[in-house]
This record gives sequence, structure tokens and C-alpha cells, in this order.
Amino acid sequence: MKKRHLAAAVATVATLVALTGCTGGSDAPSGAGVPTDTPITLKVWSWDGTVKEAVPGFEKLYPNITVDVINAGSSTDEYTALDNAIQAGSGVPDIAMFEYFSLPLFAIPGKLTDLSEFGAEDIASDYVDAAWGNVTIDGKPYALPSDYGPAALFYNQAVLAEAGVTEPPATWDEFYEAAKKVRALGGDHYITNDSADIFLLLSLIWEGGGRPFTVDGSNVKIDFTDAGTTRAVEYWQRMLDEDLVNTKVTGWSDDWNRGLNEGTIATQIIGSWFTSTLPERAPDAAGDFRIAPLPQWEAGETSGSENGGSAMAIPADAKNKEAAYAFLEYFTHGDGLQSRIDAGAFVPNLSNLDDETFLGTTNEFFGDQKYNEVLAESSKNVATGWQYPPFFGWARTSYEDVSAPLYNSGKGTLADVLETWKQRSIEYGNEQGFTVE
Amino acid sequence: MSSTSSTVARRTRVYTLANPRKSTTLTLLTGLFALYCLLPMVWLVINASKSQQDFVSSFGLAFGDHFALWDNVVQVFTFQEGIFARWLLNTVLYVVVGALVSTFLAALGGYALAKHDFIGKRVFLLVVLGSISVPGIALAIPQFLLFAQLGITNTPWAVLIPSFINPFGLYLMWVFTAQAVPDGLIEAARIDGAGEFRIFRQIAFPLLAPATVTVLLFSFVSIWNNYFLPLIMLKDPAWYPLTIGINQWNKLGSTAGNGELIQNLVITASLLTIIPLVIAFLSLQRYWQSGLALGAIKD
Amino acid sequence: MSQQLLAPPTPAANAAPDRTSLRVRRRPKVGLLFIAPFAVLFLFVLIIPIGYSAYISLFQNKLIGGNAFVGLGNYIKLFNDPQFYDGAIRVVVFTAIQVPIMLISAIALALAIDSLRLHGTKFFRVVVFLPYAIPAIVSTLMWGFMLGIRYGLIGSLNEAAGTSFDPFAPETTMISIGVMVTWGFTGYNMLIFYAALRAVPRELYEAAAIDGANEFHIIRHIKLPALRGSLIVTIIFSIIGTFQLFNEPNILATLVSNSGITSYYTPNLYAYNLAFTGSQQGYAAALAIVMALFTIAIAYVVQIKGMKNVLNK
Repeated sequence: MKKRHLAAAVATVATLVALTGCTGGSDAPSGAGVPTDTPITLKVWSWDGTVKEAVPGFEKLYPNITVDVINAGSSTDEYTALDNAIQAGSGVPDIAMFEYFSLPLFAIPGKLTDLSEFGAEDIASDYVDAAWGNVTIDGKPYALPSDYGPAALFYNQAVLAEAGVTEPPATWDEFYEAAKKVRALGGDHYITNDSADIFLLLSLIWEGGGRPFTVDGSNVKIDFTDAGTTRAVEYWQRMLDEDLVNTKVTGWSDDWNRGLNEGTIATQIIGSWFTSTLPERAPDAAGDFRIAPLPQWEAGETSGSENGGSAMAIPADAKNKEAAYAFLEYFTHGDGLQSRIDAGAFVPNLSNLDDETFLGTTNEFFGDQKYNEVLAESSKNVATGWQYPPFFGWARTSYEDVSAPLYNSGKGTLADVLETWKQRSIEYGNEQGFTVE
Repeated sequence: MSSTSSTVARRTRVYTLANPRKSTTLTLLTGLFALYCLLPMVWLVINASKSQQDFVSSFGLAFGDHFALWDNVVQVFTFQEGIFARWLLNTVLYVVVGALVSTFLAALGGYALAKHDFIGKRVFLLVVLGSISVPGIALAIPQFLLFAQLGITNTPWAVLIPSFINPFGLYLMWVFTAQAVPDGLIEAARIDGAGEFRIFRQIAFPLLAPATVTVLLFSFVSIWNNYFLPLIMLKDPAWYPLTIGINQWNKLGSTAGNGELIQNLVITASLLTIIPLVIAFLSLQRYWQSGLALGAIKD
Repeated sequence: MSQQLLAPPTPAANAAPDRTSLRVRRRPKVGLLFIAPFAVLFLFVLIIPIGYSAYISLFQNKLIGGNAFVGLGNYIKLFNDPQFYDGAIRVVVFTAIQVPIMLISAIALALAIDSLRLHGTKFFRVVVFLPYAIPAIVSTLMWGFMLGIRYGLIGSLNEAAGTSFDPFAPETTMISIGVMVTWGFTGYNMLIFYAALRAVPRELYEAAAIDGANEFHIIRHIKLPALRGSLIVTIIFSIIGTFQLFNEPNILATLVSNSGITSYYTPNLYAYNLAFTGSQQGYAAALAIVMALFTIAIAYVVQIKGMKNVLNK
């Protein structure tokens, strides 16, 4: 282990020990009251494949604990399963994975455990501020961040060069100019695609200081007219109007893979986790892609936003909470973290973002660029204060419906779409018992 | 008697009823439909032979640079510590038990509907139709809760028990039984003193061979392809049937995040799962050819 | 017995003189015993959950504040919900067009294969059935490719012919779905008809031949009537199944953009999204029950008209 990392690990253990005042077993870092004599099986639901890397190390520390990592479905599938299990009163896992935006949905009705009872607040400063902000609801931590997705610009430098763009765009104005040049290449060439991708739009709004959602307990305020939001919306409207963005390709579809592969989609504004999956989607473009920070609204600024990322929480109905927290802390913050990073996880832990080995990682797909330097910087620049409305899962589906006429047939404007979305959300949220305006 | 009629037939036509003249036009027309059926499957076979890289970069109906079928098959069986084989075994279990039991229950029930009267027959039919008119989606959670009360969620029973009900099979057996089993036979057997179940087993059932085989085959396929309810009921990959497992592999690459893109494995796995169905179909085919009822209705 | 062979054959050929049928029919207890296994399981697997579903349809689920009893509130909301009507009308129109096409094709195919006048009968039998054996996720992937306009077959055809037909534009998406559904289920229905045809006693054909009937007479007077029972069944079940259209729009929504597929594209899809992303289980249950009532009304009419003979025994 690198010195800095070791220091961080020792500090964590020391903190835990000091906090609980327990000297515990000889080898195991002490979590308050983690049973070490009775056999325990921890059930962990995670579609993140790197979590299982941390299991062997943990099981060695706690020989009486067996950890079962199961993929109980991705995203909505898992949330449904969790709700079903809670309703049925059986089969609730000890740890479950959540995308950041879905945490409020479970936290607010009390389905998750407040982790401050295990001392989670003491490790808050080990994370990028925005990441910790994501897991804090009503001032309490309900999860630990397990991976992170600062938005960055992934660009195919060969295609941009062909279009006459030699430097990656540093501002959105430059991006606009570059978009025109790429379009001029003719055929199906576009600088990027957007088929009503709400995360893309929100990441632009977020970066520019827009805060359309304000959540306070069960009060939600939605407003798409603040300065940061309006600027982003007008910008993107122009991109749509001038046919600078491919609206006929959906992200994560076969067409999208092929577009990236052959270069007809030149860039992606997407989360850092894209580094592990882009190479398999665009093998023919190996060596051509590079990563740059997100273009800024004003030259010289260093703002950022997120596009995805997830955290791990302990359901309120879980049976073995102490043991669960021990493992949770282990693989998101403690000794188990490195094995996950080695397996490709991108985490918002400052210890990692400052780690030299991490920063020196290169990959020939990205032309041996030290891309983690860009991504670490981007992580630290993520603007704080962002909130998702608690019913975002529903809102997301509703957005697809509401934006269809615009993207399918060019009817209406993006601002109109957002206004309709706001009205629908107000209706839905109030029906659901929130106070939304 | 048969030979007499075919002799007669031979005087008016060159060909017999059992072996008529083949029509090229008809074959061509049917062939067009067969093409419609086969084309997507040709796609499946071609793409199962491509590596992931080739899949992304080549045209759908052309072969890739590198013939990777064997590699893909090996990978399918070794990916995620060989869970595919387990899924295959699970599916076989669900299908064999489910198809046999559901077909048997449908046959029993169909026979009752066709040949017996019982109280509430009409209500029963109405209720059956009404129940299957309810979209399964809406029932999934109540069914889950019910099974959870009994503690059988996340076990094979959660998949098997719902599969024992085959309303379509019931209706089919009803219709076929009404058509293929003459009352007179049953009557005769009763006069001879045979018990009801024996009549069903020895007289009606053999006559229903094509129907039973059809229902069995359909049941086989539909349980094999069962997706939604098992998805809700099972949370342990060790008990997944193939459909859920393959779907999960597919979702790895098609949801936002850093899941692996293994379309080549998804396609190869799909091809592999079709093979047992084809084999089942081919081996059950001959039941359609048996001359039915013929021997039974003798004066 | 020979009396029966020469009489116009119908599936209720055993609707013989009443004296016989009365003796056959009067065994109520036996009937119950035979139907019991199915009925008991049916009660457990379907009836009880439906009952529970009906119960929860009387509640509104709130994320904050739990469940509130609203009586028929969900149903009233449903009747004023334009999204529901959008999906319902779509599915009814789709069914009215797709089901006849599919069943007529299935009958034609069954007749063709049964006629033994095809070269390679066995081949056709297997091939036509195969689409049904393919799981929805796989077939949607395949069709997504076939009908793709950028990298798919249609794309290449468009290039070759200079056209720009898009099978997944909002106006054409339902047609494409129709193509997919017909592809998947024609073989299935064909087999049912084929099995029914195979059950026709060969002696009927021989007798008809003696009487001088040609192929068309045989089809019209022997084969088609023989299909009556299975036709009723397939119509009913096709209507029920098609009203519940879900898989294709659900998967296509992620594969293609600008297809016009909304979260309420079909009632079943709407119910799914309501329950699983909107946490509105009560409303979804109300939707499901209304759809079920509507479906069964239609299916029952078909059954009554078609099965008059058999039911009235």
C-alpha cells in the first residue's frame, strides 16, 4: 500500500477505535458491538461488480462473518425488490446499493438506517464534499458513497482533428463552435447525441449553478427559471435548433455503441465511470479517445457536476446492522477499498484521488493519457448544494414522456418541456404526500 | 375398408389422399413465410459467431473478421464462475416438472369440462377467463406477498407453483377432448364397468395424444421463457432460470454505469437456450403423425 | 356409427341424440374431482392475489403518510385519465387489426401443412414454430437490428433504394410491433389448428372422396368446421394476450429513440410504470382490474357466441 493510503487506513481504524472506546479483538478493527463469536451471514445487494473484491479480506478479519454479494437487479429492479422485501417482512438485505438520486425516496419514509449511530459522520471529510452531500438527507448520513461520476468530456481526438478542432473545447461557447465544425464533416457526424437524456441536461444546469430543486424535509420547491438553469436550457435549445446534436440515437443502445465506435458520435458528456465501459463499446477507436474537464460556462472557471454515481445503505429492517456497517465501511472507506479501485471502481475518497499510483494510471485506449488526473480534479470541482427531488425515479420516466414531442418532431421548446414537467411533478408530489410547489 | 376407398380414388386421381401431389406454388408461398420466420434466427446464428468487438463493428448479417463461436460458447459457460450451467439446470427443472404437471392438470380439467357436468361449470369458466384477463404485472406483487407469507419466495416453488396453472392448456384440452373423444366410447366402457379414472387413462388419454403433446410443448416453451413472475419471486442468482440470467447479462451493458458489455455472450446464450426447445419439438413431432381415432371407432 | 360419418361433421359431432348424452353427462361428483386439482391451485395462484389486488385498488399509496383509503377514488381518477385512454384505444385498435391477420395466416399455414402438398412438410412445421420459442428479450434485440435504420437491414435497404422509411417513427412503431408480434405467435396458433386438423378422422376424407368432393369442398366442409373449437379458443386468448401487450414496447423503448413509446403506451405498460417507478400500486391495481373487466366482457361475448353448442349441454 502506498504510504498515504496506509496513513489514511490507520487513521480510520484509530478513529473507529477511539470513537467506540472498545479495544476489540486482536486483529479486527473494532466496530461497536460487532459480534465476533456468532456466525453471521451478511446479504449485500449490489450490481456494482467490484464489491465482491473486498469480501475475502473482510472475511479474514471476521472469521465468523460470511458475506454474500448478490446482483439483485440493476437500479429500478433492485429498488422494487427491496420494497417488496420490506413489505413482505422477509428477505431484506443487510446492505443495498442506491444511485444517489434514489436515496431520498427510501430515506425520507424511514426505510434506511441513519448511519451516524455508527460514527459515519466522522469520516465525512474523507470524501469529496459533493459526494458526502449526496448521502446526507436532512442533515443525517443515510449511506456511504461507493462510487462516483463527476461529469467530464470524453472526446475522440482523431475525429475532432479531422473537423479542424485541435484542442478540446474549454468553454461551452467553444463546444458550440466545435459542434458546427463536426457537423460540417457531413453524413451522420455529430459532436454528441442526446435523446432526452435528463442526466445530461441536469449536469449542465448543475455545473452552471442552477438549482431547480430545493428539498427541505417533505417540502419540495421546483423552479426552472433561475439564472444557472436558464442559461443551460437556452444553450441546449440552440444546440437542438441548429441540428448540432444527434437526437436519433439513444444512449446505451446498439446504435450508440456503433456511433462511438466509428466516430460519428465524437464526444460524450458523461460520468467518469465511463472509462471502464467505453473501450468495449468502441474498440475500433482505441487510442483516439481522450478525457478533458467539462467545458466551463465562463473561461477560467472550475465548476463541475455529476452524472450518476452510487452509494450503499443499510435498510432499516436489516438484521445485522453492526456487522453490516463494519463491512460497509470496510469496502467503501477502509482496507477493502483498494481492491475495488484495482478492479476499476472510481471513488470519491480523497485518499484515492490524491494517490499517486491512481493519478498515474494510463490506458492505451486513451492514448496513455494520465486521465485520472483530469477525473480527480473534476471530482473535487463538483459544485455543492445540488438536490434531487425525492420522487426522482418517477420524475425521470415522466420526463421521457413529456419531452417526446420535442425530440421526436421538434414541437415546443425545452423550456416548455421543463415547465410541463414541473407541473406534473407538482401534481404527483402533492398526491404522494409531499408539499410541492 | 380403407384400401377399397383408395382404389376407388386411384381411378379418379393419380395420387391418393395420403400422398397427394406436391404443389410448388404452395411450397413457395409457405416458403416466404418461413423466410419471415427464419431471418431473425439467421441473424442470431451469425452474431453468435462474433466476438464482442466484431459485433460492434460489423454489419448485422455479415460474419465478423474472426469466427468466435466456440470461444463464445466457452465463455458463456465460464462467465461469472459458470453460473450459466446452473441456470440451465434450473430451467430444466422448472420446465420438466412444470410442463408435466400443468399438462396433466389441464388434461384432467379439460376432460371434466368436455365430458362431465359439475356444479358451477359456467361460473368456473367465467372466473378462469376473468382471471387471466388481469394483467400479470398487477398480480405480481400480491402473489409475491402471498408466497412470502408462506416462506417460499426465493425458492423453486415460487416458480413452479404458478407454472402448474395453464388456462390456455385447459381450454385447448377441453376443445380437443370434445372433438376427439366420442361419447359412445365412454359409454361403452362404463357399461363394461370401468372406473372413471380408468376410462380417462385408457380410453380418452390415448386419443388425445396430439392435443396433449401440443399443450405439453406450449407449456414447455412458455415456462422456458417465463420472465416476469420469476423476476419478482427470485432474488438469488442460484435459482434464476435462463431468461432472467440472460436478461441480467444484457442489462449489464445497457444501463448507465460501468457494467460489462457482453452482447456476444447474450446472443450466444440465447442461441444455446433455443436448442433444447428445438430438440423437444423435433422429438415430440411424431405424435402429430399418428393416425388417431381411426382404430377406435369401429363398428 | 356409420350414421355419424355421413352426417355433416361438426366438432360437436358427439352432440349425438340426447338420450346418449344425458347418460354421459350425469356424473357431477366425478367432474368436480377431475377439475379439483386445477381449481384449487387456480384459487391459490390467481384468485387470492386478484382479491388482494382489488383490495389495494381501494387505497391510494403515498410516499409520505402511507396508504389512505379512497374507496372508488382510483377508479374515478382512471376514468378521467387521458393517458389511460391513449393506451387503451391503441391496444384495442392494434388487436382488431393484428389478431385477424395472425389467425388467418395461422389457419392458412395449418391447412397448407396438413394438406401434405408441401415439399418439406416437417421442415416447415419446425421453422414456423421456432419464433415462439425465442424469449422476448432476444427477439426484440433481433428485430431492433432488422428494423434499424442506421445500422440495420432496413437501413441498408433504404440506402440501396434511396428511400428513408423508418419503422420506428411514432407513426410506424405500432406497425413494427405488429410485425414482431405476428412473427412470434403465428406459428404457435398454427400448431393448434394443425393439431385440430390432425384429429379429424381420416375416414371422413375418404368418405368425401367417394362422394366426389374436391380439395376446396374438403376444406370448406370438413377442415374449417373442424377448426371451429380451436378458433374460438385462439381468438379469445389472442384478444386477452394482445390487450396485455407489454414486452415489445417495454424493450423497444430502451433500444430505439424517437419511437413515440411513452410510459403509458399500452395499459399494461402504464400499470407497470405506475407500480414500479411511481409507487402507485393502488392505482395500478385499479387500472388492471378495469382492463380485466373490459377484456373479459369481450372475451365472454366471443365465448358465448362460439361455444353455444358445448356450453348448453
